[in-house]
Amino acid sequence: MRDGNKKIHQFFFPSLTSKFLIRASLVALFAYLFFGHLCTPILIKGQSMEPTYRNGSINFCWKLRYIFSEPKKYDVVAVRFAGNKVMLLKRVIAVEGEHVEFRNGKLFVDGKEMDEPYVHYPCNWNLPPRQVEKDCVYVVGDNRNMPIENHHFGQAPTKRIIGGPLW
Amino acid sequence: MVRVKYILIAILVVIFGIWAAFTLFQSEEKKVKKQFHLLSKWASKETGENTFVMAQKVKNIGKLFAEHCELKANVISFTGRYTAEEISSYAARARLSFSNLSLQFYDFNVAFPEEGLAKVTLTAKLTGRTTTGEGVDETHELECALKKIENKWFFSYMEVVEVLKK
Repeated sequence: MRDGNKKIHQFFFPSLTSKFLIRASLVALFAYLFFGHLCTPILIKGQSMEPTYRNGSINFCWKLRYIFSEPKKYDVVAVRFAGNKVMLLKRVIAVEGEHVEFRNGKLFVDGKEMDEPYVHYPCNWNLPPRQVEKDCVYVVGDNRNMPIENHHFGQAPTKRIIGGPLW
Repeated sequence: MVRVKYILIAILVVIFGIWAAFTLFQSEEKKVKKQFHLLSKWASKETGENTFVMAQKVKNIGKLFAEHCELKANVISFTGRYTAEEISSYAARARLSFSNLSLQFYDFNVAFPEEGLAKVTLTAKLTGRTTTGEGVDETHELECALKKIENKWFFSYMEVVEVLKK
């Protein structure tokens, strides 16, 4: 029993030996690199991706997702502004060269109506067809239950995509 | 024991020295960032702000801009070359339509391409509520230029970058 108490005490109040300090420094360095640069925690603010991602929920942005591949259609991606502190979470609905169009809330890519199981709210958007430029993807939120003018969506250069949510 | 005491004093002196160097001798980058912090402070508005505070803040906003400043903001149809007074009066009108307003800046990238000129790219986040009760939450990337006049930095160019092109 005494031995157990000693172990618990040692766990919470470890002796400051050189081995412990090296171990603690390595853990801190790993945590800084991993959570600061590779898999950064994000707080989702806003309703543009509801119901897939709720306002106020917490996730992680996995920044190695597009190191060796390009964003694909239907991927949810993080689009950066000037840096990494504030980003947009959107879904890729078309890739370069494709034509995007909205007709009475229905998405058409290259003239073909797309099935969008992630869209749960009614939408009445109309957007004339436009072609996605080279090295760009077209991104939109899942929640289109607002006037088209009030929704932040459009074509983003792939170099602005810094990763995607972990789940 | 005496030696440990001296080491501790030396460490404290070094820490104080570093703190003093950072606080007293502001780098040009810090001075540029400070102008954005001031813009954020004076553009923001709390619910129930009185007329005197409002007038003072609007006056202060004008002091941050150069005599002529070029603005490019297609999102709010506010593009052109404006005087500091015109910007002040536009800010006053814009603030009047909000019951509360917060302007925050993130991710500063500051460069000094030539003497007396600073180019800054950053993210601006505007949140608040209009007097009609509508919530506002806008985020934009900005490209700004500041000119150094008589050892003070003034905004001379501001452009809202179109991140998503509809």
